[in-house]
Formats: sequence, structure tokens, C-alpha cells
Amino acid sequence: MASSYALPSSAIPQHFHQHSAEHLHSHSHSPSHSHSHSHSPSPLSSLSPSRKRRDSRAATGSHSHSHGHGHSHSRNQSSHSHSHSHEHTTSSHVHNEEHHEHNHAAHESNSNISVLHQSRLSLPPPLAPSSHWRTDSTPGGKPLVTPTDGSFDEIHKYEPPAAASGLHTHHEHSHHDHSTERSRFTNMLLPYTSKWPLIHTVMTEKDSRRIFYFMSLNLSFMFVQAFYGYVTDSLGLLSDSIHMFFDCVALAVGLLAAVASKWPPSERFPYGFGKIETLSGFGNGVFLILISVEIMFEAVERVIEGRETQRLGELFMVSTMGLLVNLVGMMAFGHHHHGGHDHGHSHGHSHDGHSHGPAKEHNHDHCDSHNHDHDHDHNHDHDHPHDHDHHIEKKHDHSHAHSHDNENMHGIYLHVLADTLGSAAVIVSTVLTHFWPWSGWDPLASFLIAVLILLSSLPLVKSSARRLLLTIPAEIEYNLRETLSGISGLRGVAGYAVPKFWIDDRNAGEDAPPNKLLGVMHVVAVRGADMEDVRDRVRNYLLGYGIDVTLQVEREGDTSCWCGVGRSPLSGGGLVFVYMMVGLVYLDTWLFVLQRE
Amino acid sequence: MASEDDNPQGDSSHAPASAKNPFNFQTQFMDAPVKSNIGQRRGHRYKHSSISAQHQFFQEPPPRPPPVLPASLPIPTLKEAWGSMDRDQRARLYWCCCHAAVAIYVFFSAENSLAMTALSHLVFFDVGSAAVCVAVDVLGNFEVWRRSSIRHPFGLQRAEVLAGFAMSVFLVFGGFDLISHNLKHVLETVGEHSPHHPPSSHSHGAGGTRQVSPGTVDFASLAAVVSTLISAYGLRNHNRIRRVMRVPLPYLSSLFPGDAGGILANPFHFLTLFFAFLMLLLPLVSVPYFVWLDRVICAAIAGSMFVLGTRLAIAQGLMLLMSYSGGGAQDGTKQSQQTVAGNGSAASSNNNNNNNNNNNNKSTAGGGLGPKKTDNGGGSGGDNGSVSAVVREIEAEPQVARVDEAQFWQVHYGLAMANLKVCLVRGCDDGALSTLRTRLTRVVQNRLGEGYGRGGYLRWEVTVQTSTDK
Repeated sequence: MASSYALPSSAIPQHFHQHSAEHLHSHSHSPSHSHSHSHSPSPLSSLSPSRKRRDSRAATGSHSHSHGHGHSHSRNQSSHSHSHSHEHTTSSHVHNEEHHEHNHAAHESNSNISVLHQSRLSLPPPLAPSSHWRTDSTPGGKPLVTPTDGSFDEIHKYEPPAAASGLHTHHEHSHHDHSTERSRFTNMLLPYTSKWPLIHTVMTEKDSRRIFYFMSLNLSFMFVQAFYGYVTDSLGLLSDSIHMFFDCVALAVGLLAAVASKWPPSERFPYGFGKIETLSGFGNGVFLILISVEIMFEAVERVIEGRETQRLGELFMVSTMGLLVNLVGMMAFGHHHHGGHDHGHSHGHSHDGHSHGPAKEHNHDHCDSHNHDHDHDHNHDHDHPHDHDHHIEKKHDHSHAHSHDNENMHGIYLHVLADTLGSAAVIVSTVLTHFWPWSGWDPLASFLIAVLILLSSLPLVKSSARRLLLTIPAEIEYNLRETLSGISGLRGVAGYAVPKFWIDDRNAGEDAPPNKLLGVMHVVAVRGADMEDVRDRVRNYLLGYGIDVTLQVEREGDTSCWCGVGRSPLSGGGLVFVYMMVGLVYLDTWLFVLQRE
Repeated sequence: MASEDDNPQGDSSHAPASAKNPFNFQTQFMDAPVKSNIGQRRGHRYKHSSISAQHQFFQEPPPRPPPVLPASLPIPTLKEAWGSMDRDQRARLYWCCCHAAVAIYVFFSAENSLAMTALSHLVFFDVGSAAVCVAVDVLGNFEVWRRSSIRHPFGLQRAEVLAGFAMSVFLVFGGFDLISHNLKHVLETVGEHSPHHPPSSHSHGAGGTRQVSPGTVDFASLAAVVSTLISAYGLRNHNRIRRVMRVPLPYLSSLFPGDAGGILANPFHFLTLFFAFLMLLLPLVSVPYFVWLDRVICAAIAGSMFVLGTRLAIAQGLMLLMSYSGGGAQDGTKQSQQTVAGNGSAASSNNNNNNNNNNNNKSTAGGGLGPKKTDNGGGSGGDNGSVSAVVREIEAEPQVARVDEAQFWQVHYGLAMANLKVCLVRGCDDGALSTLRTRLTRVVQNRLGEGYGRGGYLRWEVTVQTSTDK
């Protein structure tokens, strides 16, 4: 069913231009904005046409606002209200607003999309929101927050069946509710998917939904390619469909990881599946590195052999189609890993990023960035716009680096990026070969691309490896040391041993307070202190710093534990002795110096 | 004036003067700068003296004991690592380089034989895992590897698992790569009804594969065989690699039982050797080298790489996900009673992925956290070594009222953690508590420790948090 929304290729470039400003992560506040954290649908009641256009656009797979600020643009000519459903920058609405500024009637490119939308998806026309599935599927009558829903007059939200929402209990959070932030396309599909719980689970989560959409796009494209390749006996199409298949496998792994990361902890996985996305990102990164090394090898080989590229026309066509599909993927995944989860700060930074002056200026701003992105996308330099647009965000991320950075999505993004660059490279090299026949263009281009991919996947591998190694980041480590040194000051505590802490990612960063730690520690209670009392005191002390610890309390002098807290002279009480010895030596030195004087 | 005269005199008469000196040490004038105290504060240097204490405005903080853990231990640079290597390790490293050279040789001598390319992938993998072994060995020289610090709570040893995971990704990648190459070749030959592409005729087509004239020795595969044997026997790498790539392979080990299997029981060397021998023998016994044979061998290698790679990746991925799955595969009655009560039902539906869905469903359908587990209490025999059996055994202890939470997970190949939250019956004194802890530790270690005999020794760090119902 999702495959039905495959776009005809002619529409895609426009589409892309139109939304490339998604990188911006900013939201504009017109003078009369109302920053409501409200969950009441009241300010959101008015419905603007462009809102719906955006929804329809989101259905094409570039839906990126799901966690995001739900910026509901309940805009009656001049005022729009942003209901921030919390952190999580997103981005896409920026664009939308640009169109807003232009007019409210059908903007050209927008209408293009919506027409497309209607024809391809057989949706109800976007300007007539009150289709019947929406109204009758409101069992909960949940108050709605997000643009998707707020934009529809007094229409409640489709609420997932209990089976699915049970899985997301930890997301049911007063500030942002995932289930309310879906594109209209998704909302249309959801009632049908509820019959298949697996697909439904996939569809209810933002990340997995995106991957799923893109995967089905890829798959359908693969089949089309294979079919035409078979019919027309075109080798290029066939081998490209093989390539597409492998991409789909990678996407499927990513999808699995995205779904699995929401599974609750179990006996076998006591800390849940928070790491599985990191793992998948790591795997993807390693895979990319290997691929790029292989491409480099092949390129060198080809330069040496001087093999010529044949069938330029076919190659050109195939890679153009691949490029288009991958561009859709880029839009879908592109800004995730930075925009992701900026607990509460994205707000501030976007103020930094853009002066929120009058609407005109604002508009101008967006146009600017729009052009910018557009340029770059056609220069095959996708890294660049990204970095550029996010420089504020980046700095910001740095300042609290533990916002959950979804490595899975990052890995998939890089993978799609690699594919995009690959097909772009083929296009460029075929064009170049066409005009200046030299067999080295293609190897040269692929070599360069391989280097780019390699460089861009290295940071991903590094960061995910660090997380998988259970390394404590530097800032947390500093605080942790402070916290730990305070333990021995607690009443009844003689010492402690084997403190081991790791970052808790059980509910992978959605609404968990950042920097929560789990850990293990053994504490020695002085003689005469109540062990339970000591346990509670230490535990509460640590809980105050966001550290949930399994605490074993031992009695002073008990040397039976493996942690050896009573045994070795270097821990517990023994430390005091060592300390005194050091002090004595120090004193001695001083006395000696004094005597010398 | 007189004094001026005196001075040189005094200098000249210095020697006799010193001779008169009853002590026989020479007066020496220090060249070293003597610090003058002019302009410096003269006062009590010793801050703890009674006088200093009076005008000490800022009291020093009470002394704290130095931290138990170092914040972070230095991670060795390449240079330090190089310096720390002993002879044996260095020999291994050199051998790795040789092995890598062989792999590259095989790779480039493959020309257009897919099977040879596939074989080179296998050799590359061997090189990679040998290199990981060397790196692990060398890093083991450093403290940061084993000792836990705040930065690296479990040392760096988990990197071994990570490297293993990366290697298995390499295997999967190789499998994919070979398969797609193979498919492309098939497509190309199918697509080329008429060889109208002169440049491409050398790359494929019936006679296009690498020619080894029948009856001669194929040097590339010979090199692969020899280097693999040296790596396995000469350097005993295969034991290490198997330890790193600890993955249950029931078929192979039953095929080559015990030590007799030795090298062959190690799937990686087995694969490399098997295919290398195959390709060595084929020309020797004058089997004509068909294209399809080439493809079949390549497909076989690719398939086995893929299967092995996925198994490895899953095995190591599970460890990286902070889970313990050592004995879990064999036990049938899995219960989720020790996870937090709210998660109970959901958890059991998720952890049944290996076997026995029925059993699991039954136990949860029975509503059963409480009654079921006491029925099974003191599990023994059959499901020895499973986590739930251990938990049941712990609950069977007389002093234990119930187990609130039990988290078992494996940190790396040599270390696992068990974090228990246990509720005790009332009236345990310190001594009883201590012995109980020891006993629990022993239970966990004995049941799940995997023993010394079977190669890997898994150490369990058990932490027991006790409480008593009020």
C-alpha cells in the first residue's frame, strides 16, 4: 500500500527544491505569535490551506516534523501560532511558511504536489478535510497538539488501538505525544494497518515509519527497474536493481533496529534495546567504510586497466532515476540526526539563528536558505549544506552532547547519501565522458565519492563505538567524580568500591532526562550503622544526581566479597593508612627543609 | 688601600690557612644561586602552626580520601603500544603483515576468477581477525584495558567484542559483495548474446576466466593454504580467533569432534583451507575449469561467509546490547518473573524469540509471576545454566523472600555482571548476610561461569542489594 505513493520522477525535483530548507531547524515567529505549550486544540482550530499542503507533502516520505515542534500554523492571514510540543526541532515548517507568505491560495509548486497527491494516492482532496475516516476514528478524543491535527477543524485524532499504544507507554508524555504527530498520509493508512500489528507498530513510530516508507519506495522502484530491465534487456537496469535490493536489506536492518529499540526490557535484555540503534548505526558505518574502500580499490584497478564505460545513455538514465529516488530518501532522513532531540533547547537556538523580526524579513531569510540548499543539492555536495545550516545547532549539541543522537537514522542517512552521491557521480562522469572522452572520469569520480563517504562515516563509527563501549562522556565523568567523592562523606559510609556506571538508554532518549546513569557499587558501612539506612542514604544521594544504582552494602571488616573492599590495602580503610603515610613523608620533608634554613 | 693589599694576600695565603684547619674538608663556594630572602615575606611557613591558624581566613575543606577509581587511564598511543610489545607479539604482528601481503597477492592474482576473489576475501578476513588478536594482545599490556575507571567502567576490553562485530560485518559485506558480483556476471553473460563489445570480451565470456593450465600448481591458492596453516599452527592464532569469534557451530564441531578436529573445528580456517585446497586440486587433477564451477565456488563461499557473518554478528551484537545469552539458548522454560512487574507480560512476549513459544505463553497466560515460579523452585538438572534457573535457585534459599530484580548481562568475553535486588526474610544479621552473599555469588558463578574447561572462563561480578520487608 505504501508503495503506491511512488512519485513520478518529473515531480521530484520541484518537490525537492521546495523543501530543501528543511535543514534550517528554525521556526519563524510572526509578531503575533502565540507560543502555546497548550494541548488544547483551541488555538489550533483555524485551518489554512497551506497546512494541508504541507501534510500532503509530508506524505511523500519527507515527513520530518513528527517529533518536532508541532508548529501549527493556524494562520488567518497574519497570525500563526506555534504550539511547541516541546523540544525536538524539526524543520520542515519553515518552508511551509515561506509559501505562506506568498499567498494562501494554491501556490504553484504546492498545488503541484497536492494534485499529484490526489492523483497518486487517491486521497480526499486536501481542501476538504472532513473525510469520514477521520471523524469516526476518534475513540479517545484525545486533545490534539500538533499541526497535523490542529490544522483540521475540530477533528480529533485517530488514536491507535490499545495494543499499539501499550507499546509506547513511556512516550505518553504530557509534552509531546508521538501518536499525534503524523502526516495525513499516515493517518489515512493507519486504520488499515491496524489489522496487522507488526506493520502498525512500524507505522506508529516516526523513525520506523520513515524508514518503512522509504524502503517501500525503494522496493517498488527495484521491482519496476527489474521488470523494465528484463523487458528491455538492459543490463544497467538489472544490476541497479540488485543494488537497490541490497539497499533495501540495509534499510530493513535499520527498520528492525528502529522497531526493536522500543521493546521493553526483558529477562534476557535487562537494559532494553536502547543500544540496538547504536549497533545498527555502527554496522552501517562499518559497512560504508568497507564499501568505500572497495570502491577505491576498484577505481584504482579500472584506471590501471583503462576500461571504458559503455552504454552511456543507459547508464545515465538509470543513475538519474536512482538519484531521484535517493533524493527522496535524503529528504526523509536528512536532518534527523541533528534535529533529533534537543531537549528544550532548540527553541532558544532557533531564536539565535534567525532574527524574528517582521514577517517580511523572515520571508527573505527563508528564501535565502532555500536557494542555498538548492544549489548545493545539485552540486553533489550534500554534506556541505547540512553542516552549514546546522552550525548553530551543532554548537548547541555540543553543549550538551548527550541528547540522544540517533545513530541508526544517521547511519541510514549516510547510506542513502552514499547512494545519492554514487549516482550523481555516475551522472557527472557520463556527461564528462560524453563530452571529453577519457576513461578516467568514472574511476576518478567514484574515488572522490568513496573518500567522501569514508570521511563522513568515520565520525559515526567513532561515536557509536564509544557508546557501545559504555564510555562515559567527559562532562558526565566530571560530575560523576564529584558525586562519587561526596559519597564517603555520607553518614555511616566507610568507603566504597567497584563503582561502575553506564548510561541508561532504556527509553532511548525520547523523554528521558538526559544523562541518566545506571550503575553498580559496593559500599562499606561503618560498624554500628544500620545497613538499610546506609543503603537508602547512598541510593537517595545518587538518585538525586540521576544515578540509579544497585547497591551492595557490606559491613566494615567483611572481606568476603569479590570486590575486595576490605582486603586490599588500597581501598576502604586501608586508604586512610596510605594517606597518613603520605602525609608523614610530606611532613618529614618540611621538617627537613625547615632545618636547612 | 691597605685592605686592597690585604685581599690578594689573603687569597694567596688561602692554602696555608686551610692547611691549618683542623677539619679536612675544603671550603666550597656554591655556584648555584643562593636565594636571597630580601624582599620576601618572612614568617611562618608552616601553615599548621598555631600562629598561622589564627589568620587563616579560608579553612581548607576537610580532607577526602582519594577516589577509589582513577578518572581515566591514559589510552596508549601507537608509539607506546609499539614500545610495549614483547617479542612474541611482534612476531605475530609481522606475520599479520605477511599474511596481509598474501591476501593482497591472492586478490590481485584473481584477475577474473570469481572464486579466487572470494577466496581472497576469506584470507582477508583471516588477516583481519589475526590483526584483531594482535591488537587485543598488545592492548592487554596496558592498564586501561583491564582496569576500570570512571571513564571506561569496564576497561577497554569491550572493544574486543566490538572489533569482532566489525569483522562479522566485514563477512556479511563480503558475502553481499560477492553475491552481487556473481549476479552481475551472470547477467552480463546472459545479456551478451553477441560479443559485440571488444573491450569486455576479455573480462567475461566462456574463455575469459583465469587460466591455470591443468596439471600445474596454482600459486595463489597454494599461498593461501600455506599462510593459513602457518597462522593456525605456527602461531596458534586459530585458538584465539575462535575464542574471539565464540559462536556455537554444532555441525562443524560434531563433524570434527574434540581436539582431533583442531583447526578444522574453527569455521574460518576450515573455510579458507577447504576452498583453497579445492582450488589447488582442481587444476592438478585436470578438471577443466568451467565458468559455472567458478561461479558455484564463489556462491558457496559467499553463502558461507554470509551465514557465518550473520551468526557472528548476532552473537556479538547481543553482547553489545548488554544481554546475557550464554545458557539461554538451551533452556525451555523461560519466565520473566524477575523483570519489573509492569513489564512482565510484554517482556515475555519478546524474549521468546529462540524457542518454546508455547511454554512461554502458557506461563504468562497462567497469570503467573507468583505461583508458577514456586512450583519450579529449585530448578536443577535439565535447565542448568539458564538465567531463570539461577534465579529460581536463588529464590529457593531459605533467607531469600523473593527476588525483586535480576539483571544478568555480559560485558565482554571474560566478564559478566549479575545485579540482584533481593528481599530477605526478617532477622538476618551481618554474618548471615555475608554468607548469603557469598553463596549467591557462588551459585551464579558455578551455574553460569561456563567453566574453565571449555576454553573461555567467564567471571561473574555479583552485586546483591538486600532489603527487608517492613
